[in-house]
Amino acid sequence: MTVPRPANRKKIKDKDFELIQAINSGQFDRFPDLVKRYEQKLYNFSLRMCRDAADAEDTVQETFLNVFRYLKNFRYETKFKNWLYRVAASTCIKKRRKSKFAPERELSLDEFFPQDEAEVPDQVPKWALLPLDKLLNDELLDKINEAIFTLPEKYRLVIVLRDIEGFSTAETAQILNLSDANVKVRLHRARLFLRDKLKGYFENE
Amino acid sequence: MNKDEHDHKHCLELFQKLSEYLDNELDEVTCKDIEKHVKDCVPCFVCLQTLKRTVDLCKQAENRPVPKDFSKKLKEAIQNMPKTPPAG
Repeated sequence: MTVPRPANRKKIKDKDFELIQAINSGQFDRFPDLVKRYEQKLYNFSLRMCRDAADAEDTVQETFLNVFRYLKNFRYETKFKNWLYRVAASTCIKKRRKSKFAPERELSLDEFFPQDEAEVPDQVPKWALLPLDKLLNDELLDKINEAIFTLPEKYRLVIVLRDIEGFSTAETAQILNLSDANVKVRLHRARLFLRDKLKGYFENE
Repeated sequence: MNKDEHDHKHCLELFQKLSEYLDNELDEVTCKDIEKHVKDCVPCFVCLQTLKRTVDLCKQAENRPVPKDFSKKLKEAIQNMPKTPPAG
């Protein structure tokens, strides 16, 4: 779970620093505080990755058990949250291989670039012009979640980490062990895929 | 540039970079190039606006509350863990 680094690397003191130091110094009764801090975020992350609620629960539990097992190896070289999501992402990927998910496929840029004359837009559609609060409703939020579920996993992981969880390109690259360039390519294709789904939804509304 | 004059080569080149543009990850020259291009190219302007809206909407994706019995189950699983993590 850790990458070898120079021994004198500066420790990152984030909001979890003291709690993790306490747990690692033997105060294991404080581990539930760490769980409380992240259970909702990890539950939603896992739900977006697994789709199935029971699988998401298993994944969160497995993630926290892994965190407990490997917390002693955490070297404060990244924010704890980034390390936690690295554990969570790898737990989700392992879980996925044992379960049913959206078919894995490559998304190519060409499929999203308007080529035929009929597809080339000539004006900004209403859904991209209206104020966000005028547009948002429960049905649309369901559609967005549904569209995210239909993304192939490798693209879904990136868009969930970048646009929903709010990690930067560099942090996402570190969590998923990818290059920055690879994260950018996957993110762009994932967004274009969602854009097409939303376009379809609004055109048929 | 109107719909019929849509210059695919330059458009496709910029189309690849629209997410990086929205994320402020491009150099100034490329940013200016995109801004200049979308001023005259309606299809690319529409692409940019709809992509931006997609990102805004994606950020609104709602988080669901953790099921009540799950928090309890998780707490029990943690209580049943060995009190000291394995060495290493």
